Amino acid sequence: MTAPRPLRRLSPLAVGVALVLLLGALLAGLLVGAVGLSPGAVLAEVADRLPFVSVDSGLSEQEAAIVWDLRLPRVVLAALVGATLAAAGASYQGVFRNPLADPYLLGVAAGAGLGATIGIVTLGSASAVVPAAAFAGALAAVALTYALGGATGGGRAGTTLVLAGVAVAAFFTAAQTFVQQRHADTVREVYSWILGRLSTVGWSEVALLAPYAGVSLMVLLLHRRLLDVMAVGEEEAETLGVSASRVRLVVVAAATLGTAAAVAVSGLVGFVGIVVPHAVRLMVGSSYRVIVPLSVLGGAAFLVLADLGARTLAAPSEVPLGVITAFVGAPFFAVVLRSARRGWGP
Amino acid sequence: MNRARIAPRVALVLVACLVAAGCGSPGGGATTEPAGAGFPIEVAGTVIPAAPQRIVSASASHTEILYALGVGEWIVATDQFSDFPPEAGATTKLDAFNLGVESVAAFTPDLVVLSYDPGDLCAGLAALGIPTLLFAPPLTLEDVYGQMRALGAATGLEAEAGALVAGIEGEVARLVAAVPPRETPLTYYYELDPTLYSLTSATFVGGLFGLLGMHNIADAADPAGTGFPQLSAEFVLAADPDFIFLADTRCCGQSASTLAERPGWASLAAVAEGRVVPLDDDVASRWGPRLVDLLAAVAGAIAAPGGG
Amino acid sequence: MSGIIARGVGVRYDGRVALEGVDLEVPAGEWAALVGPNGAGKSSLLRALAGTVPSSGTVAVGGRSRHEMSRRRWARLVAAVAQHPVLPAGLTAAEYVLLGRTPHLGYLAAESRRDVVAALAALERLDAGALASRPLGSLSGGERQRVVLARALAQDPEVLLLDEPTASLDIGHQQQVLDLVEGLRRERGIAVVAALHDLTLAAQYAGRLVLLDRGRVAAEGPATAVLTPEGLAHFSGARVALLRGPDGELVVAPRRPA
Repeated sequence: MTAPRPLRRLSPLAVGVALVLLLGALLAGLLVGAVGLSPGAVLAEVADRLPFVSVDSGLSEQEAAIVWDLRLPRVVLAALVGATLAAAGASYQGVFRNPLADPYLLGVAAGAGLGATIGIVTLGSASAVVPAAAFAGALAAVALTYALGGATGGGRAGTTLVLAGVAVAAFFTAAQTFVQQRHADTVREVYSWILGRLSTVGWSEVALLAPYAGVSLMVLLLHRRLLDVMAVGEEEAETLGVSASRVRLVVVAAATLGTAAAVAVSGLVGFVGIVVPHAVRLMVGSSYRVIVPLSVLGGAAFLVLADLGARTLAAPSEVPLGVITAFVGAPFFAVVLRSARRGWGP
Repeated sequence: MNRARIAPRVALVLVACLVAAGCGSPGGGATTEPAGAGFPIEVAGTVIPAAPQRIVSASASHTEILYALGVGEWIVATDQFSDFPPEAGATTKLDAFNLGVESVAAFTPDLVVLSYDPGDLCAGLAALGIPTLLFAPPLTLEDVYGQMRALGAATGLEAEAGALVAGIEGEVARLVAAVPPRETPLTYYYELDPTLYSLTSATFVGGLFGLLGMHNIADAADPAGTGFPQLSAEFVLAADPDFIFLADTRCCGQSASTLAERPGWASLAAVAEGRVVPLDDDVASRWGPRLVDLLAAVAGAIAAPGGG
Repeated sequence: MSGIIARGVGVRYDGRVALEGVDLEVPAGEWAALVGPNGAGKSSLLRALAGTVPSSGTVAVGGRSRHEMSRRRWARLVAAVAQHPVLPAGLTAAEYVLLGRTPHLGYLAAESRRDVVAALAALERLDAGALASRPLGSLSGGERQRVVLARALAQDPEVLLLDEPTASLDIGHQQQVLDLVEGLRRERGIAVVAALHDLTLAAQYAGRLVLLDRGRVAAEGPATAVLTPEGLAHFSGARVALLRGPDGELVVAPRRPA
């Protein structure tokens, strides 16, 4: 790694590279799938939709439906979910000054799991109530965490909140296990939801997630400078004129909103929220001004590629997305860690 | 068994290989020694000392068979999935997911019929001297006939069992013969649940479809030979089957209209031209006398005008 | 430039009284050193002046009380250097010092060119210009302390609060840091309030000493008045002798009985 400049800004080069990576991933996601469609035909099909262009792609009606109704919304959704989770993870790492923070830190996963389980056992996994129940459960868990842990002020508020999140998560997980036990015949459906999957998504899920993801990403990106301020701790941030508890509340609210919506449509996809920000940090330094935007792009690309793996590795059936992100995320992170350590000083 | 059918089925094929001493596993294709008029009789390794008058059946399929044989009045308890005929629904219920030796033995049965063996239930009952029959899921029609004959022997009603089997055989032959010959076989997709779990022609139900000359698209998707592959939407779209059979209508509320709402599925010929056939989940997942109903429903669907 | 005036300041932690009825007035350009034994309330007083801990009484800069203004406005007037500052290892010194401009920015605003210039200038002023690109984790103790001071300077404050700025520094760096603070005081008329455990340094650099004992002001005035062997024996339990250096500066020497 070259010697760092005094003030690292978000370099156009880094953004450019990240964008190229994302576009490449999106393209790969569109061209590759369980069913082998010739890349030329797919590109022709896409080109046909452009104004003033008329090309016959040679795809049957069902194959065209695969491109427009299956692959494209799925790839877009994977990008949105990945971006949202990575931004939330990076923001949590900043606001709690904890490198192990991930988007599910304050009980989101356990809350969503409980909501989804209740939805699945009462109405079946195909019901549209399940995502709504997961969303509601996630929000309820974080609200409960805040009620439990937000009461204290002073320098330990962040730690107290994290600990409250641990307690809430344990409680909700126990409740979920209890409900599941009483309805053992739905174990497979619940389990497959928990492992994360994008196999039944279409444009309606994209429309469902997009507004929440949009708001979440926008608020988190706007707060990245404040995350750098939070890095010196709550008390020092106060001496710099920043209300640590207010920043924490806004960031948690925005991140939770995005994460809850992402989890509602895709199930629990782990690793993205913790590995992508770390990898970005190792490559471009510790300033959240740079980490958050690059995590957004990197997270989107990462999940698009992971979903590609989920669809193709065991074709024609699917590997759960959460399994892919864990299997791929860990070695990928190890490689980045090793190559970065060589460049850094002691 | 509705939603439980997949995991237990796969597990059962393995479990059925374990034969505890005294726990009979007639399973697939095993024939019994025809005893004379009398008892005691040995059915696949289990000695049944006398004609059973207190039967516990924890298998919905075998409950139906027992009622068809006419011994319904001697059934003292069934599992929560045994709901046909309606009288079966009124018997005392055991929880199929929490079967324990005590809960079964509390009924002082003289015959217990199981289709899977949770936690050494078989061995436990055998240790108490309760005759127990553990039936593995059948793979072919012959397996089903064998299980029916075994139950007939176990209850001292070989003649009734023989008649039941003959009746079913005749009905099946009639339905198969009535299928018009085709140049290219009809293809079908059989859906077990909305996450696109399917079954191949190597399974019992798939075999029935095979009798009717139909070709299963899931066969190409099961290299491991599990019999129950999970398909992807892309695969189904590319295969564009002639018929779609839904076995998740009751458990998961699927129908032709919910299929049309799935992204991309409206482009399937079967969806667009009304060749989505809803099946009764229970009929489609059991192997009792109602398998004739399943075959008839399928045969009727493919014979109707507009069907290929 | 205005000084800082505190009246009747009291701080309680969970019912325990850490500070009570403290009056302090430090005009612009003056240096007051807070001395006293551990637990006397020096840090609590600095926190109360910075506004990071709830306190009774009033604290005002230039006639405007802390209660009258937002946290951000106060941070433009008062800069505080903590006893153990958090230095995120991955940030460069320049990025860290730039954080000092936060009170001058809107909630979501980004820094302007002017802020960057101010930050780099603060580093230069603290003899740390060469450290601008260095990651904080690679700095030595003395370098770190200068960078922390630079951040406080970047806030462009009227009052500078320092909590044990020389702890864990060797004697050369102690003097270097205090000389730099002295320079700021002279040039810009900043009022300095520093908690110092080294009585000799306190005597040599501060114009006025404030001796705190169990949360109250026990003595206040020039070093010669506050630092007496009898007083120090009473409040700190220490045996000292007051000496004069070559240029007449006061030296507090610990004595070991023979």
